[in-house]
Amino acid sequence: MSNGTELIMPKLGLTMTEGTISEWVVAPGDKFSKGDVILVVETEKIANEVEAPADGVFEDILVPAGETVPVGAAIARWNIGAAGATDKMPKEGSPVTSETPEKQLAPAAPAASASAPIAPPAREAGTRIVATPLARRIARQNSIDLGQVDGSGPRGRIKADDVRAAIPALAAMPREGARQIANPARRAPTSYEATVARRLSEAKRETPHFYLATEVDAGRLLDLKDQLNDEISGVKISVNHLIIAAVAKALAENEKANSVWQEGEIVTYDSVDIGVAVNTDNGLFAPVLKNLGGLDIVSIAAAAKAMVEKARSGKLAGDDLAGGATTISNAGMFDVTYMSSIINPGQSSILGVGSIRETFRPNKKGKPVLKQEMGLVLSCDHRIFDGVSGLTFLNAIKSYLEKPLKLLVK
Amino acid sequence: MAEVRFAKAINMALDETLTKDPSVVVFGEDVAHAGGPFGVTRGLLDTHGELRVRDTPISEATIVSAAVGAAMSGLKPVVEIMFMDFVAIAMDGLVNQAAKARFMFGGQCSVPMVLRTPHGGGVNAGPQHSQCLEAWFAHIPGLKVVVPSNPSDAYQLLKAAILDPDPVIFIENKAMYSMKGDLDEAAPAIEIGKAHIARAGDDVTIVSYGAAVNTALAAAATLAERDIEAEVVDLRSIQPWDEETVLQSLSRTHRLVILHEAVTNFGVGAEIAARMADIGFDELDAPIIRVGAPFMPVPFAKSLESRYLPDADDVIAAVEKVLA
Amino acid sequence: MKSRKAGNTAAKSQLLEFYERMLLVREAENKLSALFADGEVPGFIHLSVGQEAVCVGITSALEARDTLASNHRGHGHALSKGVDLETFFLEIMGKEEGICGGRGGSMHVADMSVGMLGANGIVGAGIPLAVGSALAHQVRQNDAVAVVFFGDGALAEGVLHESLNLAALWKLPVLFVCENNGWSEFSPASKQFIANVRDLATAFSIPSKKVDGNAVLEVHDAAVGLVNAARNGEGPQLLECITHRWRGHFEGDPQKYRSEDEMSGLADHDPIAAFEALLEKKKVSKADMQEVRDRIEEQITRAVEAGRAGSAPDFERAKTDVYTVREAV
Repeated sequence: MSNGTELIMPKLGLTMTEGTISEWVVAPGDKFSKGDVILVVETEKIANEVEAPADGVFEDILVPAGETVPVGAAIARWNIGAAGATDKMPKEGSPVTSETPEKQLAPAAPAASASAPIAPPAREAGTRIVATPLARRIARQNSIDLGQVDGSGPRGRIKADDVRAAIPALAAMPREGARQIANPARRAPTSYEATVARRLSEAKRETPHFYLATEVDAGRLLDLKDQLNDEISGVKISVNHLIIAAVAKALAENEKANSVWQEGEIVTYDSVDIGVAVNTDNGLFAPVLKNLGGLDIVSIAAAAKAMVEKARSGKLAGDDLAGGATTISNAGMFDVTYMSSIINPGQSSILGVGSIRETFRPNKKGKPVLKQEMGLVLSCDHRIFDGVSGLTFLNAIKSYLEKPLKLLVK
Repeated sequence: MAEVRFAKAINMALDETLTKDPSVVVFGEDVAHAGGPFGVTRGLLDTHGELRVRDTPISEATIVSAAVGAAMSGLKPVVEIMFMDFVAIAMDGLVNQAAKARFMFGGQCSVPMVLRTPHGGGVNAGPQHSQCLEAWFAHIPGLKVVVPSNPSDAYQLLKAAILDPDPVIFIENKAMYSMKGDLDEAAPAIEIGKAHIARAGDDVTIVSYGAAVNTALAAAATLAERDIEAEVVDLRSIQPWDEETVLQSLSRTHRLVILHEAVTNFGVGAEIAARMADIGFDELDAPIIRVGAPFMPVPFAKSLESRYLPDADDVIAAVEKVLA
Repeated sequence: MKSRKAGNTAAKSQLLEFYERMLLVREAENKLSALFADGEVPGFIHLSVGQEAVCVGITSALEARDTLASNHRGHGHALSKGVDLETFFLEIMGKEEGICGGRGGSMHVADMSVGMLGANGIVGAGIPLAVGSALAHQVRQNDAVAVVFFGDGALAEGVLHESLNLAALWKLPVLFVCENNGWSEFSPASKQFIANVRDLATAFSIPSKKVDGNAVLEVHDAAVGLVNAARNGEGPQLLECITHRWRGHFEGDPQKYRSEDEMSGLADHDPIAAFEALLEKKKVSKADMQEVRDRIEEQITRAVEAGRAGSAPDFERAKTDVYTVREAV
């Protein structure tokens, strides 16, 4: 009855192994035109709209919204070039129709950009990956693409050990506790959880971290914040905005701090880009504020505010999450003195900001003075920083925060 | 602790419960004066008298239904059907009466009866004296089905079955009657519905019950020589059966072989396999394999029957398959 | 042992009691028939209209401790053994408050508290149950007897023959009551069973009697004798009661297989009309009889109201009665 083909879960980025269908925009029977949004796929950290590569008719949903499937799995049937498609359909024999949907689904090189809708699965479209349920579970938990795993079982079936061998950290470990009696609740991680687990494990494993901690006297910073908010209307300036400004200035002055280790090379950025950790209902994200060099505090605050809103409304694009050498992770709203963070993959440092606390410090005469102090921990990638360069960067930040009027000078 | 034969262990449980509980009665074909065709009830008549230990005529349907009526009227009858094959003529009492009384009368009464019967081949008894029909009963809501694998379990499980308020089918593998084993009368009671890990292992779970547990253990011993450690789960009771223990074992080994002497098709193993494929799906690293008798009546001739019965080699072959 | 002439010497109050019991069964079944036609009784029901003298005659010879196994045509057995009328209607109307929680219905009315071991959906199945119950009485030496009612349709069931044999071998205190209404479901019993039940009894050395099953006092008198014999350790007894089935095998059965002659003649065998005539002869006043009729009508009206007010059975609770759930120790 149908001469349609399968729409497969597209690969929307180099690291994507599976995607969650968050919404089907078209329904079975709908006609669509090239460029129409067919569905929305949630991966790793972002939602992607998948567009039709040509006109056609949507036939049937194979995987309902809400489900997560590996890249390459058939998720729907559609018919591109069928009778009944829109008038805009190219005629038979025209160059476009010769480009079959399969070919469109399988361009020569994987598309790294989120806007490229469809990339090839590791196996030919329609080839079922034969794997045991346990192998599938382990693969899912470790974000392993089963398409990349060789099966050693009968008829090439992928077994649990085949997947374990594909996970470097697990391969070295003994089999899961053979004498374990308890049967705790188990569930597969969400796509987001799996991604976070994999990326952070990688980051902590691959990046040689060291940590530098100090306290900042935040009295003047808080005064300045209040003053600014009293005197400037429009954007409300927060402590975090001032910290972003301080890091921006320190970064602009410090070439090493604006460098990252990338596949054996040291890459130094020429723009001042800073990641800011944002907690959202969908998890923690670190979108990157771009080109902060030379921006005044009001512009920085406005940019930060806009990015936070974007993150919280789930609208971050792949580009928003890329770039930058450092990230600020401010836990000040919670109760924490020092926070030693894991450097985000691809960056070379992260600044953990603690709560502002009141504490007595001796003044020069030895008399106690009430101070407002904020603990900073800079996690550094030792491939980029050494102790001295790390401290230079951290002390520069501290200096801007303790003498915050400098933040207002270009 | 003493070493006793399987038949004696059952006899001890009957003797003990007859002594302790005046509502227990024992009847069946040739169980009193002759002491049972396999000697299981030997001596009970002399000890407990003809009011409570009775020979019946060869009337299986009435033996079973009378047990139901007696159980509904204050007794705890333990009846014997000489060969499991003969329950075919007693199904109404078990399926329509015993199994349903509690439910269809709104919980007004229980039917505390036990039906003891031997199943199993290996003694060249032919097509009508060798069948393993336990799946029939495990399929009926309201019945319990218990199958011990050794003398000690037989002793404990029969006592539990007689104490149980519901109708229990207690199945004895006739090839095991002379099997010897340690019996500790002071050992704690066994709960119907709880499985027992007969042998621990990490590589594959073999679930079985009754005499086949010993086949599984023999296979496991051979496999151990090849560094394959099989875990053998003795279900002890197949209705209810211990899903939790099987699932826990499967969660450790990720491979499941189910062994029984009964015909494989539509059998107890099918239920276990289906259930584990459901609740244990993500634990499976290989297909579940059932080992049982082929889909044919039990043949008589020695050469035919020995080929018919599943043995340790069949289990080893299945284990190899799930480890492939 | 009571005299065979008990009926002749019975007090007026006892006669009225027989009358009331038969009327209760008759009117309850008539009401069930109406409720069934109106769709208020689900499933199928088998009525014993026309056979009231048998159940009342037998059960009036029993003690409370005696047990009774019944069959699919068992409303009279249940009510005359003492099953509460309201929980009886609630059950047959499929309600949670029914005697069996709405799980059994008409074919499975049971009340262990009055020794009613249950109606039965399987023809003949109650016979070996009663034998087992009698075994329990014998072993427990509790001076009780078991009674089983079965129709002539059950005569060809193997368990009857096995049960007669076993009961006789073991001298069990059981009374076998054959309600011979001439019909084996949709076929004349004569085409289904070549022997007769009293010859069977003789074959197994079981004492037996045959009575007009539409004459309640005759049934009662015979039952008293046989029950006492069973109770006194004389072993099983058998009573054949010749009676008539007025309704179909089940309600809704058009009975095309019965001749008009037979159908129109049924009223001549009405055990209740016959008993009313006897009462008149015994100088029981019409007013006394009317009082009984009024009382029965009122009881049944109340029972139907209770049945209608009952609640739908709870599925989860039903599931818990597949096995005995024991309280955790």
